[in-house]
Amino acid sequence: MKGTKSWNKKIGAGLAAASLTAAMMLQAMPVYAADSGIDMSTDYPGVMAKAGETVSFPLDFISTDGEGHDISLEALTLPEAWTGYFKGNTTQISKVHVNGTAEEDSTSPASFSLTIPDDAAEGTYEIQLKADAGSGDTDVLDLEVVISEEEAGESSFTSEYPQQQGVTGTTFTFDTTIVNNRGTNQSYSLAAQTPEGWQVTFTPSDDSKNVASLEVEAGSSKGMKVTVTPPENVEKGDYKIPVTAISSNDKLSTELTVSITGTYGVALSSPNQVLSFDAYANKESSVTLSITNSGNVDLTNLNLTSSAPTDWNVSFSESTIDTLEPGATKEVTAYVTPSENAITGDYVTSFTVSSNETSGNADFRVSVKTSTTWGIAAAAIIVVLVAALAGIMKKYGRR
Amino acid sequence: MSLIRRKNTSGTENHPTWINAATGRNALIRKELADHLKSRRFLILLVLIGSTGFASLWGAISGLSDALSQDSNFAFLKLYTQSGNSIPSFMSFIALLGPIVGLALGFDAVNSERAGGTLNRLSSQPIYRDSIIIGKFLAGTAVIAMIIYSMGIGLGAVGILTTGLKPSGEEVLRILVFLTFTVVYIAFWLALAILFSVVCRHAATSALAAIALWIFFSIFMSLVANIVAGAVYPMRNDYEMMANSLNNYTLELNMNRISPYYLYSEAVSTIMNPSVRSVNVVTMSQLVGAVSGYLSFGQSLLLVWPHLVGLAALMIAAFAGSYIGFMRQEVRAN
Repeated sequence: MKGTKSWNKKIGAGLAAASLTAAMMLQAMPVYAADSGIDMSTDYPGVMAKAGETVSFPLDFISTDGEGHDISLEALTLPEAWTGYFKGNTTQISKVHVNGTAEEDSTSPASFSLTIPDDAAEGTYEIQLKADAGSGDTDVLDLEVVISEEEAGESSFTSEYPQQQGVTGTTFTFDTTIVNNRGTNQSYSLAAQTPEGWQVTFTPSDDSKNVASLEVEAGSSKGMKVTVTPPENVEKGDYKIPVTAISSNDKLSTELTVSITGTYGVALSSPNQVLSFDAYANKESSVTLSITNSGNVDLTNLNLTSSAPTDWNVSFSESTIDTLEPGATKEVTAYVTPSENAITGDYVTSFTVSSNETSGNADFRVSVKTSTTWGIAAAAIIVVLVAALAGIMKKYGRR
Repeated sequence: MSLIRRKNTSGTENHPTWINAATGRNALIRKELADHLKSRRFLILLVLIGSTGFASLWGAISGLSDALSQDSNFAFLKLYTQSGNSIPSFMSFIALLGPIVGLALGFDAVNSERAGGTLNRLSSQPIYRDSIIIGKFLAGTAVIAMIIYSMGIGLGAVGILTTGLKPSGEEVLRILVFLTFTVVYIAFWLALAILFSVVCRHAATSALAAIALWIFFSIFMSLVANIVAGAVYPMRNDYEMMANSLNNYTLELNMNRISPYYLYSEAVSTIMNPSVRSVNVVTMSQLVGAVSGYLSFGQSLLLVWPHLVGLAALMIAAFAGSYIGFMRQEVRAN
């Protein structure tokens, strides 16, 4: 039976060239055995696989006599310890229905799922599947599985520069490549393990979208950018980020290393970011300064200094700060006394905070105002003058 | 007269006499005002101030684009302060010609009435004598205020029409203060003219005396101040320049400030120019760290408070002098 029937099947590329030509002719001008009204086929009857893998053969069914058939399915021969079952849409099945009038569908209604044992030896294995529609309408399909230890080389996940260095606030971009050496397309889902607050995004090299998984065709490679954003207040040190790409067959991983170098920075401002205040000549005014460590290492021995116009007096509530932790803010009050001779209007006074490593400064606009005391005094003089005039009128008037 | 005195001594009946005094004075003010407004003198003054005002506005507009290219803030104020090619600004015109208004309105206030014999008749009416001099001064001041405010606001309106500039709230305030300063300044010259008209028998004498004083303060005072300052703190060589310059300038400034003309000019140029920060001599050390900026309206006003007080004091003193002089004079002596 096998001898003649097998010629009627659509034959895979792995068979001999002569057979292939014959099959093509058969396909173009289908002639089926008269004794059978059904035909079961698969596109690739022979596959390569590794021990422990699961191989799936999509099955197509055709009714050759124009009638509908209910076909029961059966695995005729299976190697020792191999298991296989027929799969419908999502469930395990034992029968499949083929419609007599319908054209051949491009999707396969059923598939045969074959699980190869882990200890399967290298070699070629044959599997026979039988389709039986009853009343003599039967068909047998021969499948071939070649087990080889080295399939075609390992898939890989590599990075060109896996170690990168930068200061706080840098965004690191790693160019990585996923190579799929398998015979089938693989969809890799991507993940990265990061410390809290870190962000990792995956972007295909030829696109700008952030993706969570990447489809790599069989035997090809794909470039991917891994963008790592450390949190703003990240401290100095080396951070390892394991990145994994997992498909149904592969479990690839690579390790990226980000080393954050130490930065020193200190910022001087006021608590509400207003860099101006009012003052009166020869009168003390106070202004609150806020000093923030904007770097990622502790700052020690911060000194406050000022640069004010001539004869102005500036002092601080504390002119030295012993230690300021990264991200911490300290408020210091500055007392500014403008010179006695300061004229009305705006002056610039700049405050500087400096340590051995870094410094920050801010220019404050000081609006010197005329005290209203003299305005009141002047108004009083006018009142006195009017009173004097009234006195004169009283003395000399009414004649 | 004795009757009125008795009434004054009893406190309870003081009230009705004050009302009478007020009505008498108000009638006098109205009469004086009507006289002024109907007079040719008023017309001439109005034409004088109006024509100089509009000439200065024309000059200001022609020089405005240059001024705005340097500093485009407070553009509207420049209509009053900007001088065009060979035409002084409205501000300096008023400082120079404003006194003419006061002098013209007051130089013959009392002595022409005395010469014409109307003062006798006036004082025989049932009004207090001081109502006459107060009425003359207040009526004159009212006329001055009318001329100055109408001219100042009219100029602004024409300025808006021709340039399309819109005044901001602060600019309007500054212009109003400028006009008020001007009224006080001219009222001082009115009081001075009335004082001369009380002291001098002839109108021509009082006019000459007042004009002489006006010219002296407007033109010669600065020369005198310069000469005196140079004599007290000489600056003939480098050493003296170094040692004396501050004292020299300060003395010159203070002497100039005796002149109402200078006092007024300094005050209004501070009010009309918000970038003026000090009216005194500024040393280099005061400028270290200074940022160029504008003073707020209140701060500008505080800078020139003493000037306003000084001007008001001069005005009140001049009026008090004329008041005392008039009250002590014998009306019937003529």
